[in-house]
Amino acid sequence: MITATDLKKYFGAVAAVDGVTFTAGDGQVTGLLGPNGAGKTTTLRMLYGVMRPDGGTIEVDHIDATKHPRDAQARLGVLPDLAGLYPRLTAREQVRYYGELHGLESGLLEERTTALLRNLDLMHLADRRSAGYSHGERTKVAIARALVHEPQNVLLDEPTNGLDVMSTRAVRAIIRRLKAEGRCVLFSSHVMQEVSALCDSIVVIAGGRVVAHGTPDELRAKAGYDSLEDAFVALAGAGEPR
Amino acid sequence: MTRPGPLPRWARQARVVLVKELVDSFRDKRALASILLSILVGPLITGFMMNRIADRQKDADDVRIPIVGARNAPALVQWLSQQSGVMVATGPSDPEQAVRDQTEYVVLVVPPGYAEDFRSSRPASIKVVADGARADTQGQVQRVQRLLAQYSAEIGALRLIGRGVSPAAATPLKVEDVEVSTTQQRAAKLLSVIPLMVLLAAFTGAMQLATDATAGERERGSLEALLVNPVPRGALALGKVMASALAGMLAVMVTAGLCTALLRFIPLQELGMRFRFGTPHMVGLMAAALPVCLLTASVQSCVATLAKSFKEAQTYMGILILAPMIIGVMGTLYPIDNQPWMYGVPLLGQYVLLTSVLGGYAPGPLAFLVAAVVCVLTAGLLLRATVALLNNERIVFGR
Repeated sequence: MITATDLKKYFGAVAAVDGVTFTAGDGQVTGLLGPNGAGKTTTLRMLYGVMRPDGGTIEVDHIDATKHPRDAQARLGVLPDLAGLYPRLTAREQVRYYGELHGLESGLLEERTTALLRNLDLMHLADRRSAGYSHGERTKVAIARALVHEPQNVLLDEPTNGLDVMSTRAVRAIIRRLKAEGRCVLFSSHVMQEVSALCDSIVVIAGGRVVAHGTPDELRAKAGYDSLEDAFVALAGAGEPR
Repeated sequence: MTRPGPLPRWARQARVVLVKELVDSFRDKRALASILLSILVGPLITGFMMNRIADRQKDADDVRIPIVGARNAPALVQWLSQQSGVMVATGPSDPEQAVRDQTEYVVLVVPPGYAEDFRSSRPASIKVVADGARADTQGQVQRVQRLLAQYSAEIGALRLIGRGVSPAAATPLKVEDVEVSTTQQRAAKLLSVIPLMVLLAAFTGAMQLATDATAGERERGSLEALLVNPVPRGALALGKVMASALAGMLAVMVTAGLCTALLRFIPLQELGMRFRFGTPHMVGLMAAALPVCLLTASVQSCVATLAKSFKEAQTYMGILILAPMIIGVMGTLYPIDNQPWMYGVPLLGQYVLLTSVLGGYAPGPLAFLVAAVVCVLTAGLLLRATVALLNNERIVFGR
């Protein structure tokens, strides 16, 4: 479970995140929805510990992430905004590297690596260097290495961005599986269909603030639109309320 | 048998990073090739140059003397032709032009008046035509001059004996050259390029890995994902720096090995040097040079982390490598007197130590220890600076 309370981040005079508060629960998929530049990536970066908040608190499974960042990170699996692979390492080696950094014992690590690559349909790439992978394959390997330590909380920053239909479906399947395993999944997106198809709970962010928080139905009701897209546009402040 | 206790978590993580960086960079064929080239070129050029110098010295002993007007001085010509390594030949019609055209190194001209002057015991004039601007023929010219001086002294002695005077009376001075430097020191002076090669290897060997693991990691977009792992930044930086330090050490060992292997093939004894390179020298070289790899790796990692792009990092690497070059060039041009404070200056200390080891007059272990400790401490400071950079969001996200 991840709880963010009154998170703030400034870049100079610009408030990129300006008091974001929400909770992402276990066994749930939470969507961070917002237009480009709304502060989604900055919020996630603070949650997964690569940016220090200028204000507010973060709790990961009741661990104060700003005071104990490594303990919090150990409970997180992250597909960050920049999820580059090492072109000269194979898929198996990329996953193994992260597992070793998490301190997994080698027998268990081999077992998990193989299982992950099989589940994500990456066995044909297992021992090929990543230099020639497609965008979808790179994303899946990046997800695999984020999950090798079986984290309770999974953060995905625009996981389907730029993927083709098949890869998008594969990523959605992963998200559903993680939810079914009782994990807390938080992902950001600016794609409406995706959020409405997957999320139990949606946090709409615009201008660094949470403008709405609720189930898809609650959001539709709140904005007074039948379509979630119209609701989103209204909530994000770009449209005229009816 | 006692098993070592388990390493602390951060140390195990640093080791994981180290192994990954080494595996990753050793698969980079193009980078490996460029490192190999930069390591090999130096020793090969050195060996070639030294071989040429030795050959030239040998040439000077075997001298061909074209003589114009040989029949004016048959006794001199005969004496010359009896000296070992001397070949007398007929001189060209225009000696000065021939020397200028470099068809001859040196020409001896005996004027027609020689015989007359010689018979009447007047100083008989004889000309040595040579080009003083040509460094490569100096050995030959000096040999000819020495031969003529020797002939002159011998005839003079005979004349004095003929007049009943001891030749010793005409030799008020007996000049002896006492060489203070050991032959190994003289060899070291000629071999002073080797310390430079070894120091350069510490830079070129670590360079590729240091830039790839820092600026390259960020440019590929893999840095953010790496920082999400529960690993202290210090462990990440330590693993990366140690990996590049090991690469630098490998380069240093290859370079030192090649240079010493070359020493066996170079005819050093023909240069008047009896240079014997043994295991103690090799141990000394390594003791002096290996700690500097920690320094080069950490300074390169720090600077490359600071750089905004991989390209920019490579530019900085080119500037950093000037440091050993300046020291090496200064050391070759102006012989460095060993001063104790020099051991406390990174790079300079190593240069002085390497030169000393090759000169066969290595200082005590304290000097090695001081130089190594200074390197490790400086490397530690640079590592802390790198960690501070990795904690800086502007650096990590390139804002």
